[in-house]
Amino acid sequence: MMPEKKKLCRSITASGTEKSMFEDEALEAIWELAEDGEVNFTDLIKEIGNEKEILEMQKDGLIIIREDKVQFTEIGRDRARDITRRHLLAERLFADVLALNEYEEDACRFEHAISPGVEEAICTFLGHPPTCPHGRAIPKGNCCRLYTREVKPLVQPLTDLEVGVTAKVVFITTPAMEKLTAIGLVPGGTVKLQQKKPSYVVGIDETTIAIDEEIAKRIYVKR
Amino acid sequence: MHEHRLRHRYRGHKGGKGYERVALIGNPNVGKSVIFGLLTGKYAIVSNYPGTTVEVSYANISLDGKKYLVVDTPGVNNLIPMSEDEKVTRDILLHDKPSVVLQVGDSKNLKRTLLLTAQLGEMGLPIILDLNMEDEAREIGISIDIERLRSLVGVEVVSTTAPERKGMKGMKAAISKKNKVPAITVQYNPLIEEYIEKVSFYLPEANVSKRAIALMILSGDESMREWLNTNIEAEVIKELERLRNECQERLKRPISVIINETRLKKAAEIADMVTKKIPQLGSSLASTLGRLSMHPLWGIPILLVVLFGLYEFVGVFGAGILVGLLENKIFDAYLIPIFIKVVKMFIPFPFVQEMFIGEYGLITMALKYAIGIIFPITTTFFIAFAILEDSGYLPRLAIMSNKVFNLMGLSGKAVLPMVLGLGCGTMAVMTTRILESKRERIIATFLLALAVPCAAQLGVIMGMLGTLSAKAMSIWVLSVLGILLFSGYLASKIVPGEKSGFFLEIPPLRKPTLENIAVKTSSRVIWYLKEAVPLFMLGTFILFILYKLALLGLIRSFAAPVVVNVLGLPDKTTDAFLLGFFRRDYGAAGLFAMAEKGLLTPIQSVVSLVTITLFIPCLAHFFMIIKERGLKMALTMVVIIFPAAIFFGGLLNWTLRHLHITI
Repeated sequence: MMPEKKKLCRSITASGTEKSMFEDEALEAIWELAEDGEVNFTDLIKEIGNEKEILEMQKDGLIIIREDKVQFTEIGRDRARDITRRHLLAERLFADVLALNEYEEDACRFEHAISPGVEEAICTFLGHPPTCPHGRAIPKGNCCRLYTREVKPLVQPLTDLEVGVTAKVVFITTPAMEKLTAIGLVPGGTVKLQQKKPSYVVGIDETTIAIDEEIAKRIYVKR
Repeated sequence: MHEHRLRHRYRGHKGGKGYERVALIGNPNVGKSVIFGLLTGKYAIVSNYPGTTVEVSYANISLDGKKYLVVDTPGVNNLIPMSEDEKVTRDILLHDKPSVVLQVGDSKNLKRTLLLTAQLGEMGLPIILDLNMEDEAREIGISIDIERLRSLVGVEVVSTTAPERKGMKGMKAAISKKNKVPAITVQYNPLIEEYIEKVSFYLPEANVSKRAIALMILSGDESMREWLNTNIEAEVIKELERLRNECQERLKRPISVIINETRLKKAAEIADMVTKKIPQLGSSLASTLGRLSMHPLWGIPILLVVLFGLYEFVGVFGAGILVGLLENKIFDAYLIPIFIKVVKMFIPFPFVQEMFIGEYGLITMALKYAIGIIFPITTTFFIAFAILEDSGYLPRLAIMSNKVFNLMGLSGKAVLPMVLGLGCGTMAVMTTRILESKRERIIATFLLALAVPCAAQLGVIMGMLGTLSAKAMSIWVLSVLGILLFSGYLASKIVPGEKSGFFLEIPPLRKPTLENIAVKTSSRVIWYLKEAVPLFMLGTFILFILYKLALLGLIRSFAAPVVVNVLGLPDKTTDAFLLGFFRRDYGAAGLFAMAEKGLLTPIQSVVSLVTITLFIPCLAHFFMIIKERGLKMALTMVVIIFPAAIFFGGLLNWTLRHLHITI
């Protein structure tokens, strides 16, 4: 198992060098600063240092620096959008589905490691989420534009389902899982969400149960 | 309440030699206790609330000349216990070796029923499968092919509608037959099967099959530890643990979940084969009302209507009209004068005369309070509570109130003990067993003891406040509610343990049957009187003795600094508080008598009532806390509660006086 994994890692970084890694990080930082308005070169250097490398990025045609203002070139903007998108999607995946509390660092590594195909799959799986867990907007990808009309995630927590809808259970991550399986709520089974407030009420066959949000948000369903 | 009671741990049933054992097993709220009642003629508390049976009831019956010991057990969803009451049931199977298990199932939920059947089959226990609530299933368009099920599972299957006694004959006939083990074989994934064999190798012969025990061990069932420790050497247990961990490491998901899912799949397979959809009778009024009563919007007016009804029935009818009738018309006008005559005629000693009919007389004080005031109030409350219970409204109330209970570290599930506590706290402490974690049980027990007045006390308090003003009533209500929330919030911060999620099965709304209401209410009232009247007598007698020995004055002067200075009450209030040590409702009745004589100002009335509401409810309640939570916890609560009562009473007194609030 192990050697195979290593080879895979190398093949991913083979296309890039340390330089491209740095560029990605810098582009991402500029993207984030740009969310608050104009980006000053001085602010940027304060944020990430490496003045020389940044100036080199201008030479490589990723950014334009004019009177202390930093702007993307078209190529630079595309790359910055993609890398930010991958980072924020990773955050959503780790926070919502895997229910991790500490995921920042992993998201940073993850963004460099996924191909556009995987990125789209994750985005679709998460239902083309508009924001990251901290509320930052996730740049839209091609897959999202295809779904402009109805953005429904493939798999979503029960808490996101509309009242009255019947859905299929995909997986359950709550410690109350054993109790749920004992009354027939298992992956593969169907549930009907009857109400959300003041507590979640769910029908499984002829059984009706009430659960709180803590449990409901850990039951993932597919419509 | 029951002749035989079991607490915490199942200890086995003494006697009953030569009796064959019939164990009633089934999912929660499928009607085991009703079937038990019909089978044995003995009453076990029946309600439309999952988990009402928290203890085991026994009764002897004879069928065709053979004698049986029938055992009613708490409902289980799984024979791998996840709560105390589920453990009780599993242990009966493990230790008791019933000659037949009568599995009661809900016809509407065949899949879940068969999940248990499969486990009973694995244990190797002969069973009769009773599909109850056949009428409800038909109503929602479910029909079960009994013949087919019989041949698929290989056991006797009967169908019943318990409240109408339909199918009981067939069930009785089945018990005396030779019954078979369910022929449901669940094949687990090869890895689990491999480990079942490995674990079984080390297991001794037991009342249930080795395969079943192996599955419990592999599921990581902690409640098996006790059994393992008594039956297997420590070293072997270590090896079993190692095997379990090894098996878990080789699987991606928890073993228990995989096992459950495999069983459920098998159960669903069989259920699908025998279930037929028939035309539905349409959505009934009950199901519509059931849905509305937990609706975020409509649920609130329905709750208000329920509360209003409760107030009108218990507060106005019970505490007002009935008490007036009993206390004034019957006791004061007829009974007391007769008693006084009789006592004076037959007992020549003034000392003994006074003991019966004096100021602290057993008849003039104890009996009059118990029968004239407390009895009508508790009876009306228990009737109302039984209706709420049997209709299935309480779980819906749990949904509505979950958020509020969350503030106190509890979940909506605590609504049952809390509302029952408004009837009788002693019973309520017992029902805290339905709560999932030890932490919740401790908090609920504490709050019940501190700030939930029982019906008797509530009645007396309402009676007393009713004569004052609406303002007095609201100050009392707000103070007690505030203290309840505040103490609950503090307790949720202090009591250690994990917060457990809210999870509650919601039964359908049903029309309560008059018979069950009557039987249940009378069994509760009788229990209550048996418990309360002797304590009233004892309390009064002790007061009488203290009074005669002139000790009452001594105690009063001793308590005076607190009672007079902190609470701002006349020193005679000490008497009422002393009575409150025995039963706080009795203490409240004492205050009531004082207020009637004009010895308390309105502020004093409110302060004294709040203070006594916070006292430990009564001796029986205290003993129940010891039984359920242990002596140490009970004493800790006492040490907190009495000073807290004085503190909050003093605080209220100070606030009312400093803000110059007039009542």
